Amino acid sequence: MEATRSVIEARGLVREYGPVVAVDGVDLVLDEGEFLVIFGPNGAGKSSLLGMLGGALRPTHGTVSIRGTPLDFSDGDWRRRVGVLSHKGFLYAHLTAEENLRFYGRLFGLRDLDERIPERLARVGLTNRARFEVRQLSHGMRQRLALARALLHDPDLVLLDEPYTGLDPSAASVLRDVLRELRDGHRTVVMVTHNLTEGLKLATRVAIQVAGRLAWEGPTTEVDRDTFDTFYHEVVEG
Amino acid sequence: MSLYLSQIRVIVWKDLLLEFRTRERIVAMGAFAVLSGVLFNYSLDTARVAPQDVAAGLIWMTLVFGGLLGVGRTFYLEAQDGAMQGVLMSPAPKDAVYLGKTLANFTLLFPVALLVLGVFWLFFGLDLGSSPGMLVLALALGSLGFVALSTLFAAVSSGTHMGETLLPILVFPLLVPMVIYGAGATGRIMVGRPVEEVTGNIQMLAAFALITLAAGAVLFRFVVED
Repeated sequence: MEATRSVIEARGLVREYGPVVAVDGVDLVLDEGEFLVIFGPNGAGKSSLLGMLGGALRPTHGTVSIRGTPLDFSDGDWRRRVGVLSHKGFLYAHLTAEENLRFYGRLFGLRDLDERIPERLARVGLTNRARFEVRQLSHGMRQRLALARALLHDPDLVLLDEPYTGLDPSAASVLRDVLRELRDGHRTVVMVTHNLTEGLKLATRVAIQVAGRLAWEGPTTEVDRDTFDTFYHEVVEG
Repeated sequence: MSLYLSQIRVIVWKDLLLEFRTRERIVAMGAFAVLSGVLFNYSLDTARVAPQDVAAGLIWMTLVFGGLLGVGRTFYLEAQDGAMQGVLMSPAPKDAVYLGKTLANFTLLFPVALLVLGVFWLFFGLDLGSSPGMLVLALALGSLGFVALSTLFAAVSSGTHMGETLLPILVFPLLVPMVIYGAGATGRIMVGRPVEEVTGNIQMLAAFALITLAAGAVLFRFVVED
């Protein structure tokens, strides 16, 4: 079988909530090492799109394939290839940082957790908080722990939904460094954010989603960073 | 298979560890069991009603109401910070998630069932009959069937705006067979009837537990998946 370079491929994705069409016919192909940042106003359907790419939401129409394999909801094996960081951390407040990672690591069937967990905690600067319960951590620390959780199983595809929300500058800097490592390590990343400045710092491709559709999409080489703010508003306002 | 069992095990470990840290559910269920025993003790006129005649039904109803207090909150801690979504986005099969949560709930409920029996024995001066082992077996199978059913419906109700309020309405009608066979077996054992007379009830409790477990494992994914 011929190896496919595309990590994720979405065709004709539509997501409806009753009469509301949140995502309206999105096509997307991302190759290894691409870092796509999706901007868009509230209600544009960004989180729904991300949910479908990660298998959290079932598309109303359309297909998603990861490494050429269509998502099959009855078989969760492809979930090993995807890491998700949303504005919710998916963490248990009464478990320690280390216990949270061990729990998720064992759900993913990882065997080298004794080495992997300290390494991941060090990577997000939480080594000295390993035995703290999550409820004792600040919001920034929780977000960093959630990032360690999302990357624990070395996913091919990393999906990030507003990861900078509520982070102080120090926590944002740690997050930026880890995301830069991902990009430079040829991981494929899709990030949804309102933060144009942070998004452009990391992106290799940019999309602007408006009313469920990708109204504009292109490589960052086509983007003038100095005037992107104006361009974004022009696209959003149609 | 070993991964599947390991996934079930880690969910049980996580749920029990969370309960050990918070003690929310076990305290609520235990307190309910003790207080119910106290109240029933004062509500019965033992000059007219023999405790031995009514205790079996009261034990099972206390178990059902107390159990719902605990099992109803089984998805509450999961909902905080979207943890359940994280579990569902892992490769763990949905039936493994269900079985893990059901086993954890059973581990919490069964000691409460024994506590209920102890409380009623103490306050009502019950005779536990000639086969206390069968009594414990009936409670164990009943508890398993109860958690198998109520864990599934706790997932259903947690996804609605009515939350825990909806759970008894959904579960009580389906618990009728368990209460009939459970209270029947318990009552007969406590009045010293021969073991052969309750074997059928015990088999029905076992069948109820197995059927609800199997149905829960199959249906859980339709409840939790988008």
